[in-house]
Amino acid sequence: MKQLLRSKEAGILLIIVLLSLLITLKNPVFLTSSNLLDILKNNTVPGIVAMGMLLVIITGGIDVSVGAMTAAVTVIIGKYMVHAGGNLLTVFLLGCGSGAILGAINGFFVAKLDIPPIVVTLGTMSIINGGMLYYTGGSWITNIPKWFIDFGRIKLLGIPVQILFLVGAAVLTHWVLRYTLIGRGVFAVGGNPIAAVRAGFHKDKILLFLYSYLGFMVGLAAVVHTSIMRQVDPNAFFSFEMTVIAAVVLGGANVLGGEGSVFGTILGVMMLAVIQNGLILAWIPTYWQQIVVGAIILLAVSLDVMQNRRRQDQLTRIDVAGEAPFGG
Amino acid sequence: MAEERFLQMEDLSKTYPGVKALDKINMEIRAGEVHALVGENGAGKSTLIKILAGAEIPDPGGRILIDGEPVSFAHPLEALRRRIAVTYQDLSLFPNLSVVENITISRKIEEGARHIDWREMRSTAQDALAKLDLDIDLTTRLSDLSLANQQLVAIARALVHDARLLILDEPTSSLSAEEVNALFRVISTLKAQGMSILFISHKLDEVFAISDRITVLRDGQHVGTYLREELDEEKLISLMVGRKIRFMQYEKRSVGKPLLEVKHLHKKGNFADISFTLHQGEILGLTGLVGAGRTEVAQAIFGRIIPDSGQIYLRGKEMKITSTTQAVQAGIAYIPESRQTQGLFLGKTLADNLSVTRLDSLANQFGIIRIDLLKDYVGKWIQRLSIRPPYPKMLIDQFSGGNQQKAILAKWLAYEPTVLIVDEPTNGIDVGAKSEIHQLLRELADQGIGIIMISSELPEVLAVCDRILVMRRGRVAAEFPKDDATQEKIMNAAILGGDARQDVS
Repeated sequence: MKQLLRSKEAGILLIIVLLSLLITLKNPVFLTSSNLLDILKNNTVPGIVAMGMLLVIITGGIDVSVGAMTAAVTVIIGKYMVHAGGNLLTVFLLGCGSGAILGAINGFFVAKLDIPPIVVTLGTMSIINGGMLYYTGGSWITNIPKWFIDFGRIKLLGIPVQILFLVGAAVLTHWVLRYTLIGRGVFAVGGNPIAAVRAGFHKDKILLFLYSYLGFMVGLAAVVHTSIMRQVDPNAFFSFEMTVIAAVVLGGANVLGGEGSVFGTILGVMMLAVIQNGLILAWIPTYWQQIVVGAIILLAVSLDVMQNRRRQDQLTRIDVAGEAPFGG
Repeated sequence: MAEERFLQMEDLSKTYPGVKALDKINMEIRAGEVHALVGENGAGKSTLIKILAGAEIPDPGGRILIDGEPVSFAHPLEALRRRIAVTYQDLSLFPNLSVVENITISRKIEEGARHIDWREMRSTAQDALAKLDLDIDLTTRLSDLSLANQQLVAIARALVHDARLLILDEPTSSLSAEEVNALFRVISTLKAQGMSILFISHKLDEVFAISDRITVLRDGQHVGTYLREELDEEKLISLMVGRKIRFMQYEKRSVGKPLLEVKHLHKKGNFADISFTLHQGEILGLTGLVGAGRTEVAQAIFGRIIPDSGQIYLRGKEMKITSTTQAVQAGIAYIPESRQTQGLFLGKTLADNLSVTRLDSLANQFGIIRIDLLKDYVGKWIQRLSIRPPYPKMLIDQFSGGNQQKAILAKWLAYEPTVLIVDEPTNGIDVGAKSEIHQLLRELADQGIGIIMISSELPEVLAVCDRILVMRRGRVAAEFPKDDATQEKIMNAAILGGDARQDVS
């Protein structure tokens, strides 16, 4: 309990509660179950992708191609449904499968060729965006079959089906991170990559896995997105990667690697959502959202970097004769 | 003590580009012995450990045998499967994970587990800590533990692997005397259980306190393996030093007035009470073991580390240097050890590298570089330092280590410094190039520059330096005029603390 109170997550939760109170004072509509469910539903897509991004950021990496990848998968499944029909199962298989393959391509360059992730994913982002423009000519896919639209309208006990997918993605990611060896390897690589290899981890396999896992989540998110929007807009994911990365970082994950949790990431997504929704309800121009979010990210990252530097300083100290030893 | 052979190394060699780190090592480790591995910096200890741990692959031709059966390790996991565990000097633990995981995770990998059973891991870790008689909360984040406890966590990890051979690389470098004693009790217990321990330490009193046998390495070669009773500290030091490399004989040179005076310089956690004087035209050697604080002192003079107290005087005037830019303006140049990463622009030509620090003086009033001036300038430095081959347009990457070092020297000499600090200037370059660099340093000193040369290579220090300062654990342990210095005396001071011998605590 004490640990929970000291944790980053507790701090984020506190900020969300305070923000919610403020917004409710200005506009009581905020704190109604229909508004809250709406917020949640509209943020399932960044939330699901954030689950995959979390793993990448824990290893100290980043993936800026998720916007392009998500758009590409929506186009793939949209075209598939329009031209081939298919059913719910094949749509999910195709979506998650093609997402995982796109992610694996990123993973290959990062893991096997040891290229910095920012460079790799910038490259794939550009290729995917260009390829998509060539393929679709920028036009929307609108005649999504009725059975898929019906699927998107399903509610279980009043909860939109999309939210259940976010819950599923969160539970799966938590299980992977906490209870599988490869999940612990993600933390190990992020904490000390040399030690991870010395301990016997296969760093390249771990990296390949987690970029593919992110791709899988991207595919899932693309299906969920299409079920909400009922059409495919190849340009809908412009700067989507910023939202996802912001959510993960706001959720307490350390961009230098080694730290991050599913719970925190969910809170990060929520925080972004609350800020966005609250500003709209409070009639505050939305550019303030970008400014506030940017400032919070810089603050969070600065704190991480400073903490890391202090730790490094302590590790490189010399045991000077006559000085009190610094270890004990 | 069991006398049975356990692990043998036959003709083990390791060659890195340009350097033979290990040269046909033949040694054996017996079951249930504490075997110390000693040698100067660069003698090959780390390479040997890495090979045994599966982190480096030896040159073809050598063999490792366990119980008489040849083995080879392509990955650290394979060494762990043969029950060889290492606690590295940097500990190689995960600061962001709990004690439980740090102890058990590599065991899980070795078992090929896919899932994490936290309860089982907790009990495994608990057992290991109990064997070490250690009471640490298993859920603690590793980074919240003291270094001593982190060290013990690393050893606990080895226990979880049922290690037959535990390699301890400088395990005591950050421990207090009491913690060292506790560690030694642990080592004795493990040894009694039949575990072999390979103990690497610079602290000879510890080597004598704990080991059954001692192996000495020098220049990558196996000097010998001795029973502890056969040696004393003096004898051991004489085995460690005496490298065969010979440089041009030292010639006495005249030095001028005091140039740089350092008084009672102190920086917590780096060095304490450093005082010395550098004269015009003098080459002052700064030696000692790696981690003794030599580089830190140099960086303090260069403004990279701000000392807590003490004064630095340049030509009698006190300097308050708080940035490297100020140091450069005051006429101090510092050439760091890692030449490739800190001193050169790889992928650029020799001319680019030579001219980069003085581009301002090679440009016209509009800031455009004048090619004619650039050509003259580059030509002048190539000739002055006899850089070979003299091709300004060749990529700096393609030059030999010695000529790369010259290019860096030229870059800094262009500032016409009065004090030049060089950190391990001949590290990783061949003997001929070393002599050339030495000659260059002598010539620079003859022109009146005061030079501080940090070096671990004692023959080099003795061949080049007019005076030698030995550091040990952040303090000046001894100072020798060249005529007084021998390799043995320097090593004695570096390891034991010289005449005014300080207690190891």
